[in-house]
Amino acid sequence: MIVQPSSSQTTVSNPPMMAPPVPSRRYEGTASWQALRARRWYAVMGLMILLTCGAVVFCLQFGAHALTMAELWSALTFSTDGREDVARIIIWDIRFPRILMGLFVGAALAITGAALQALVRNPLADPYVLGISSGAALGATIGLALGLGAIVGGLGLPLFAFIGGGLSIVLVYGIAASQGQLPMHKLLLAGVIVNAVCSALMMFATSILNPASLYRVVLWLMGTLSVPSIPALIGIGFCLLIAIVLLLRESQALNLLAVGEDAARSLGVESDRVQRTVFLVSAVLTGAVVSVSGMIGFVGMVVPHLVRILCGADHRLLLPVSALGGGILLMVADTVARTVVAPAEIPVGVITALIGGPFFIYLLMTRKYRFFA
Amino acid sequence: MSQQASVSPICSPLPAFEVRQLSFRYDSVRSRPSGDRSAWVINGMELTVREGEILGVIGPNGSGKSSLLKLLTKLVRPQEGTIRLFGAELGALSRESISRQVAYMPQDLSYDFPFSALDMVLMGRFPYRRGGLWNLVGWEGQEDLAAAEEAMVQTDVTHLANRMIAILSAGERQRVLLARALAQVPRVLMLDEPTAHLDLNHQLDVCRILQRVHEQLQVTVLLVSHDINLASQYCDRILIMKQGAVVCIGPPQDVIHPRVLTEVYGCQVLVDAHPDTGLPRVSLPGQDRHQTVAVSGMV
Repeated sequence: MIVQPSSSQTTVSNPPMMAPPVPSRRYEGTASWQALRARRWYAVMGLMILLTCGAVVFCLQFGAHALTMAELWSALTFSTDGREDVARIIIWDIRFPRILMGLFVGAALAITGAALQALVRNPLADPYVLGISSGAALGATIGLALGLGAIVGGLGLPLFAFIGGGLSIVLVYGIAASQGQLPMHKLLLAGVIVNAVCSALMMFATSILNPASLYRVVLWLMGTLSVPSIPALIGIGFCLLIAIVLLLRESQALNLLAVGEDAARSLGVESDRVQRTVFLVSAVLTGAVVSVSGMIGFVGMVVPHLVRILCGADHRLLLPVSALGGGILLMVADTVARTVVAPAEIPVGVITALIGGPFFIYLLMTRKYRFFA
Repeated sequence: MSQQASVSPICSPLPAFEVRQLSFRYDSVRSRPSGDRSAWVINGMELTVREGEILGVIGPNGSGKSSLLKLLTKLVRPQEGTIRLFGAELGALSRESISRQVAYMPQDLSYDFPFSALDMVLMGRFPYRRGGLWNLVGWEGQEDLAAAEEAMVQTDVTHLANRMIAILSAGERQRVLLARALAQVPRVLMLDEPTAHLDLNHQLDVCRILQRVHEQLQVTVLLVSHDINLASQYCDRILIMKQGAVVCIGPPQDVIHPRVLTEVYGCQVLVDAHPDTGLPRVSLPGQDRHQTVAVSGMV
């Protein structure tokens, strides 16, 4: 059956022979394909969930005040046996919400990064490429400049950031969309333009800010996690859950789009709808995340690349594994950020950039990874 | 051997494609005078593709070959005219139902993402995916894997299943793409330049696989190619296009004629008989023979 290119006379156009039956022989390797794929999926996801749990425990233990395993255990199990439960307050009121926020923010950044890289077929895409983050930053800066940062009980800054992000989503979409379609090159350009304009406006706003507000803006821009309010935590968690479900539903379509748009459409992918969905989900999630944490760089760009090296490009595996990986990275980076110079803190964006930058350079210089070909 | 092509293909009550008065252009510039038809990529085309035949589409650059394939897969919609796929109006069919009948193998895909060959072939099962609450991400079932395996056996790429698509040779990659198209279990297979950039050995591979698949699965094949000789050897009929219209259509012996080719391509060519098959073979004239067209060995 196998075609053997022969050097002898070609027999290509012999009269058509009687059509032989379609080969029914199963190759040994292929019978195990399905089992292998299913096993791999469960193995990888199980491993990632275990790693995430391990990272949560690790992050709970360390900080400005390192806890012993015994303290950690008694606090986690609420068995305080009469002692003053400082550990319980530290863990449940301070560290746990912040760690959870780190997990959510990291997961959101990584999953949107992975989805956008496939959508625009560009390895440098990250959640900030759409221009949403600059809009959010501008909103936050304006809120501070107007002295409205403290309204609505501490939610003022995130609220302004979210409004700014939302307006820039509308703006980017309005520039890029034409006749019901969302061309990817226009989307990228629109993101770059909105980024530039918002940055310029923000420069102007910061130039007239008083030093105290200026410090808050700078800190916010560097990307920081703090102990979040419970509504913010629930809001981000809810957005993340919805986004994961919506993106996973499009994950096979994203696989096809990553290889070629025309080919994907010929296979039944409604590319307009998929592109619009992925853009809107990514944009809203990014806006929500940026409004609570500022701009935390590199998580959204590096994590998907790392996961692709380990697990391949199939977005059905890539998206959830990226989410967990991003969550782990940000949790750990935040623990480092609040530990190394305790009781002071380093903005977590500095840590992620310091990890992410060299790692990205390493990826670029070792040519094994085809996304950079 | 010449009577081979004249054997009428399997008669079917309905042709694979029936194209009537088809016109298409990419931009919708309204400023042009209405009489000017030069902007049309496809210009009043009439075509019937019989079920079970291999139809080769040749013509100079920009003659609308690739656009025709895109129109027939509904990747673009025509401004005028109708296309029927096995009797059904193409415009009224859903993308999904078209993709269960027509497989399209495009010329340029991006191989930057580290997909394995098996990932790639399984993408061909997208039209048959089943969603649902418990299969949110759309994993393939046993029958999808069976179809993928069957397709990979057909194109002899089972041993490449877990290799990354980016590190395969051009010929292997083309066979993987062919397997992806076959995994769709199509009734019509459309190929845009399947042998471009392949060396002779791999060209032969792809062509033989194509011929075998055609014989075994009775699939209708539409093949766009710049390689007239290849089309002449492997196609039942050949469609020659120029400026978005049909110049002529028929068995290779009838349409591959120096006068036709000279008129279509604007340069002089030699046509003789292939030493093995007797089918027409085209060559470009030697340097000192630009003025004289030799016609020899025509069947």
